[in-house]
Amino acid sequence: MKKIWKKKTLVLGTAALLLTAGASAGRAMAYFTTYAGAQGSAPLSLGFTRTEIEETVQNQAKYITVVNTGECDAFVRARLFAGGGYEDGLVFREAESEGWTPGEDGYYYYTAILPPGEKTGPLCVGVDWKDQEGGFNTDREDFNVIVVQESAGVYYDEDGNPACNWEVQL
Amino acid sequence: MRKQPVWAKPALLFAASAALLLASTVGSTRAALTYYSDNYALEMTVAQSMGVSLTENGRIVSHRDYDGSAWNGDGSGTLLEGILDEGEKLIPGKSYEEAIGVSNSGSIDSYVRVILQRSWLNPEGGKDTSLSPDLISLNVNTGSGWVEDARSSTPERMVFYYTRPLPSGQSTPLLCDSLKIDPAVMKEVLEETVSDGEGRQVITTSYAYDGYRFCLEAEVDAVQTHNAEDAVKSAWGVDVTVAEDGSLSIP
Repeated sequence: MKKIWKKKTLVLGTAALLLTAGASAGRAMAYFTTYAGAQGSAPLSLGFTRTEIEETVQNQAKYITVVNTGECDAFVRARLFAGGGYEDGLVFREAESEGWTPGEDGYYYYTAILPPGEKTGPLCVGVDWKDQEGGFNTDREDFNVIVVQESAGVYYDEDGNPACNWEVQL
Repeated sequence: MRKQPVWAKPALLFAASAALLLASTVGSTRAALTYYSDNYALEMTVAQSMGVSLTENGRIVSHRDYDGSAWNGDGSGTLLEGILDEGEKLIPGKSYEEAIGVSNSGSIDSYVRVILQRSWLNPEGGKDTSLSPDLISLNVNTGSGWVEDARSSTPERMVFYYTRPLPSGQSTPLLCDSLKIDPAVMKEVLEETVSDGEGRQVITTSYAYDGYRFCLEAEVDAVQTHNAEDAVKSAWGVDVTVAEDGSLSIP
């Protein structure tokens, strides 16, 4: 009698377990689901802007062009210094320049983005020498004008306009 | 009275049943011969199958569809493959096309959600968590049926639910349409000073994050619309409410 009772309990227990498992399986399988995914990456090559200056002298004026020898788009600016106290004699010749604008900070700015391998239009700055009485003397043959040019990488601001940061010098 | 053999009765019954069977066959044959009509084919699709596809810039990049007997597609794919042209360098702040959407490639309607993950890899290929994922900016089309689950989102992980049932064969509005890298990545610079051997110091400055890679992962999950609240809870572990018009909302 005891043996039969044990067997009955075992059978009932197994049945309960199967029912529970079956109920769980039925619930998990009851819903249709699927998925799809993808991933990828791209390089952030900030790189360096490299530019080189080319200048010629004609008719007491310097014709300056800048070449982008780097791998990134760049903005370019240049500043001119004249020794011997003749800095006031430097004159921007707009008609002979192309794409350059004098800034309030003393720099001349090339307004367009300079892509790699490209060259700016000419920046023409003439020299009108002042004599000791304050008048202009255009007869001097020798003069020394130093050109400093800088470049900065291009980014786009919140409005989508191209911009650069002259504070970061690389 | 003469006694019949024992086998006579079963034999009689057998003969009778054989005759009846033969007669019924002949009847059918006759009917087939006297009645003829054209054949008509009717295909009934009773199998309900789930399917979902992830699209990038109008192209399916990943899908996983059940055709009634097997799964098509392994549910994996590649993003950002064509974001830059050959030799092109990414310009911070510039918007690049990155249009991500979802298509229902199954035979039944579904609800879908998309999980986007953004991260940075250093030049050695390791994940760099010091650089904010927020610098990878996606232009999400809010108000087009997509809502973000802010509770489940982190700076690295964003979860979006499409609040309407997506009918079979249809596509959602674009979840996002463009990607740009914040120019703030250019603010961090490294300065290195070395001696040139002639008593002079050479200072070299470089961008701290030059050579990094930005990563984007997208996963779309789909679940049936029937008994949707329970189905979503079971599949995604999220409590949602489905209105009578079928619109889904998250608390």
